[in-house]
Amino acid sequence: MASWARRSTWELVLLVILAATVVFNVSDSSGYLSIDNFVNLFQLHIEKIIVVIPMAFVIIAGEIDLSVASVMAWSASVLAWMYEQDAPLVLAVVVALAAAAMAGLIQGWCVARLGLPSLVVTLAGLIGWRGAARILVEDRSIGDFPRWFDQLGQDKLVGPLPVSLVIFFALFALGWVILARSAAGRVLYVIGDNAEVARYSGIDVARARLALFTTSSLVAGVAGILFAARLGTVRGDMAAGFELEIITIVLLGGVSIFGGSGRMSGVFLAVLIVLNLRNGFGLANVGGNTQTGVIGLILIGSVIAQNVIDRLGNRTRAPGAPTAAGMPDPAQAGAVGA
Amino acid sequence: MSETEFGPAPPTGAPILSVIDVSKSFGSTHALRGVALDLHAGEVHSLVGENGAGKSTLIKVMTGLYRPDAGHVALDGHAVELRTPAIAQSLGIACIYQEPLVFPDLSVSENIFMGHTGRGRLVHWRDMDERAGEILRQLEVDIDPRAVASQLTVAGQQAVEIAKAMSRDVRVLIMDEPTAALSAHEVRRLFRQVARLAESGVAVLFVSHRLDEVFEISDRITVFRDGQHISTKPAAEVTEVSLIRDMVGRELSDFFRRVPHEPGEVALSVEGLSRAGAFENISFDVRRGEVLGFAGLVGSGRTEVAEALFGVRRADSGTIRTDGEVLQISSPREAMEHGIAYVSEDRRRLGLSLPQSVAANITLPGLRRFVSRWWLIDRNAERRAAEVYRERLQIRTTSLSTPVGVLSGGNQQKVMLAKWLDLKPSVLIFDEPTRGIDVGAKADVHELIGELAEGGVAVILISSDLPEVLAMSDRVLVMREGRQMGIFADADLDQERIMMAAVGVE
Amino acid sequence: MIAEQDLPAAPSRSRRSLLEPERVKGLTLVAVVLATVFIFSVVVDDYLSARFVSRLLIAISITALVAAGETLVIITRNIDLSVGSMVGVAAYLTAEMLAENQGLSAPIAVLVAVGIGTALGLVNGVLVAVARLPSIIATLGTLSIYRSLLTNHAGGKTISTGSLPAWLIDLPRSTLFRLGRYDVRTMFAVTLGIAVVLHLALQYTRGGRHLYALGSNPEAARQAGLNERRIQITAFAGCGALAGLAGFLYVGRFGTINVTAGSGLELAAIAAAVVGGVSTLGGSGTIMGAFLGAVLIGVLDQSLVRVEQISEFWRDAILGALIFIAVFLDVTVGRRLKERARRRAIDEAREVEHG
Repeated sequence: MASWARRSTWELVLLVILAATVVFNVSDSSGYLSIDNFVNLFQLHIEKIIVVIPMAFVIIAGEIDLSVASVMAWSASVLAWMYEQDAPLVLAVVVALAAAAMAGLIQGWCVARLGLPSLVVTLAGLIGWRGAARILVEDRSIGDFPRWFDQLGQDKLVGPLPVSLVIFFALFALGWVILARSAAGRVLYVIGDNAEVARYSGIDVARARLALFTTSSLVAGVAGILFAARLGTVRGDMAAGFELEIITIVLLGGVSIFGGSGRMSGVFLAVLIVLNLRNGFGLANVGGNTQTGVIGLILIGSVIAQNVIDRLGNRTRAPGAPTAAGMPDPAQAGAVGA
Repeated sequence: MSETEFGPAPPTGAPILSVIDVSKSFGSTHALRGVALDLHAGEVHSLVGENGAGKSTLIKVMTGLYRPDAGHVALDGHAVELRTPAIAQSLGIACIYQEPLVFPDLSVSENIFMGHTGRGRLVHWRDMDERAGEILRQLEVDIDPRAVASQLTVAGQQAVEIAKAMSRDVRVLIMDEPTAALSAHEVRRLFRQVARLAESGVAVLFVSHRLDEVFEISDRITVFRDGQHISTKPAAEVTEVSLIRDMVGRELSDFFRRVPHEPGEVALSVEGLSRAGAFENISFDVRRGEVLGFAGLVGSGRTEVAEALFGVRRADSGTIRTDGEVLQISSPREAMEHGIAYVSEDRRRLGLSLPQSVAANITLPGLRRFVSRWWLIDRNAERRAAEVYRERLQIRTTSLSTPVGVLSGGNQQKVMLAKWLDLKPSVLIFDEPTRGIDVGAKADVHELIGELAEGGVAVILISSDLPEVLAMSDRVLVMREGRQMGIFADADLDQERIMMAAVGVE
Repeated sequence: MIAEQDLPAAPSRSRRSLLEPERVKGLTLVAVVLATVFIFSVVVDDYLSARFVSRLLIAISITALVAAGETLVIITRNIDLSVGSMVGVAAYLTAEMLAENQGLSAPIAVLVAVGIGTALGLVNGVLVAVARLPSIIATLGTLSIYRSLLTNHAGGKTISTGSLPAWLIDLPRSTLFRLGRYDVRTMFAVTLGIAVVLHLALQYTRGGRHLYALGSNPEAARQAGLNERRIQITAFAGCGALAGLAGFLYVGRFGTINVTAGSGLELAAIAAAVVGGVSTLGGSGTIMGAFLGAVLIGVLDQSLVRVEQISEFWRDAILGALIFIAVFLDVTVGRRLKERARRRAIDEAREVEHG
């Protein structure tokens, strides 16, 4: 009950913040409330918010994936490199997605089978996959894709919605249903709360984690390709630092960094808040770097605020704070693979 | 509460430490209600009571982890404010827990002296190792002060904890279930160490569920019940019956006695099962409708055998058969597919996902069966299934969507049982199914085990509660230090004989 | 009942020192570094030229300092992702101050850089120890906040070599003494000196041992009366101080400083610490280990560009793979060693019991 109260309190807080950002945006710009503007709002950050979905899954399951931005660059680079070698672009897309999935599979294997902490594994991935991308594209900027590919990033598919937005909403709805209603979602929550309980209940925790990290990287791969399509070029340093904003949105949405709790409704509110903030910054002529700084502030602020709400809710935390997502849990580290 | 409230005359002089009218509440729960306790120099004072009696809360008050709402703790007759564990320790109050609280990466001597290394900013390793070695020798343990703590056995780590207390010139030593993970030999040694400490003038507060140990070691025994002080008496004046009466608050009626009936064919057959360092050469059969008890001291390897049967940790050698078929079990999932279920002893760590609802916990192992079209959970079916067990096991909860974490211990235990019953296993292993739950819930669990056996389930009952094992089982397998000491049936089902086998007395 | 003290205590002692994990780790690392240098010297012509070694030592100094700071934090079972930004802020602000006041002496410049780093580290420490944020969240946040503050402050200005005092420009070339045909650069010597002192401090001072104790078992540390908050804050502040000092060296090494100074150093630092055997589980690892990790990374980093078949773009991929291999070995081999030691302890206990 405590967690339920906390969640709804937090979502109420998010609604208030959202309302404030919307009011600010409306007062600042008359064109704000148009559908085109909303589409534009999503469109500008679509790659990040697509990756928010699997990141929510990862953090709910008590892990973390710092490698997503690098995997985005990796898959886009594979695509660009193949295209450069005169491979058909469709084939390049398929191989790029496979390359992304492979990245996730490797990381997942380390976490699931070897029992390495995901923080360290995906930190190695953050450096490694970016490095792999650099090997392929070096310091070039690869572009001149066929028109249909560039259109993937811009053209409207359903009414005013471009392909990438359709993908986002479809994935988001799917994610929502999985978390709230499916057996897989239930399993993720239990693993995030207590992986040993899951194992003793006959759940194949290793396979679930493997699937989790593979999915995370695969979706990051999709996002990377969409990013390439929207920009029209691929560079080795694309999407650098995106993981910060992605993780921020998930945690702002009320997903606990300790795993085992959080809902997509909160995450959706957090997506809207961050998009509106970004829009508001744009209107107020705030520079990109300051924006990143504010995102960092939001990350810290939202976790502190939720801690405070927890404490006000008279939830006495057991001595020995829970292990944060992806951080090594010594109690379990010894058990795995023994 | 009557004339026993302040206990009999103290053994010698004034108490070192007195707990005076201490109360402590958490929300609406009154963990302690005006309790009093005196500890004298040189005495071993046992504190007993059922789970929830307030023992651990009192320990936390005495060690500075909790501050009492009312009342106070007095040292040498002066009221002291134990605001932090550091203050309690500086006053000479130390505590040893069931699971030794060591620094796994640090050396033994560092573990002993951490927090009071001595004066100055520097650590004098050689000096420290020597002093540590001296203390360990006094404790009769052969532990290298320079060894890394993670490489010691639990008993070794516990010895380090005692050494730590001694190094601090401890005056009051609290021991919270210190014997739970020790072998018989290790318990003996621990008791010798405790006796030596007491001789040197330390006041020892011994908290344990094992009444035989309590009788063996104590000078005085205090009983708590429901956060209240019930009695304090010299051990010589206490009998097992009177002690249990004080603990439960009523005459102990006879255990629920299962009516045995003709068992069916063999459901599970185990032959020569071994795992290095855990158990060796375990062989037994369990028939349908039979309850096979597993007796032995804590740490004798019973849980490890169960874990091997359930696929948590693989055995090195030996065969497991169900219905004549040889199994290769390497995960709980595979065990479940062959109809083997295991109700673990550790509810919080291994049994339940506390933030998840009652219904979600019950359906977790068999979740596949509640999946309807498109991989979605059929919530109505789930609710219906959970409702069945809520009624059958009388789980007291406001709703099925309540998080399990807010339920009482006994009700949590029932949820855990329901979780496994719903799988309809053919072999069901209970590991300490009644530990730490109240008398009423205990009776419910016993009744349930009886019903299950009658329904044709082959039951393995691991329990350290010997009367329970005897009352519930058709046959009893006794383990000691990883080895099978024999299977007792019929006329051999006798408390003394089983205990002798369990402790290794010929 | 036999008396245990009659048993000889000697065997367990001698066996222990042979398989002590710290020592195994250290020796392995030294061997790997030597092997790497050897391989490169075979593949690359005139590999160990005096110029190359000097450049290598300077490059290692900065990473090693940051890695030493990172080690302080990782030992307490935390992580600091913001070190790169702290280096950048300290480097830029120090350079800016020197550019405006040419007359400032070196000690004051160092003090300022270290002071800035310490202050930023303190903020991290307070967020983790007082506000109870998981360190990964707190420092992921400050990573961007510090950098963003710097960018706003600098407004895109670059401080060039020309505006810096001459003594600073000459710092990388300043040599403490010569060893055969090699110059031992002052910057490297200072870093090595700090690393050795810090290493010894962690082994032989109470405060140092408290870091290990907290990381090894926070609950036991609280019970032992250690001040958890103060220890955590000290670790983060120390990490910041070393990042600040690294920032100062950064100015000396590059001369030209813009707002991206030090970006990505956190990755190299964490890599160095992890490769150097600092356990991410907290409670174990040494400064000299992290130093050796930094040496290995520096050697690879500086040498790969000289191998014709490999482009400089392989750098990050190799760094990532290196962290991965180190963690992999630490967990798998370390686990095996520990398990073996534990079994031996059980067997010994058995012998006592049956004997």
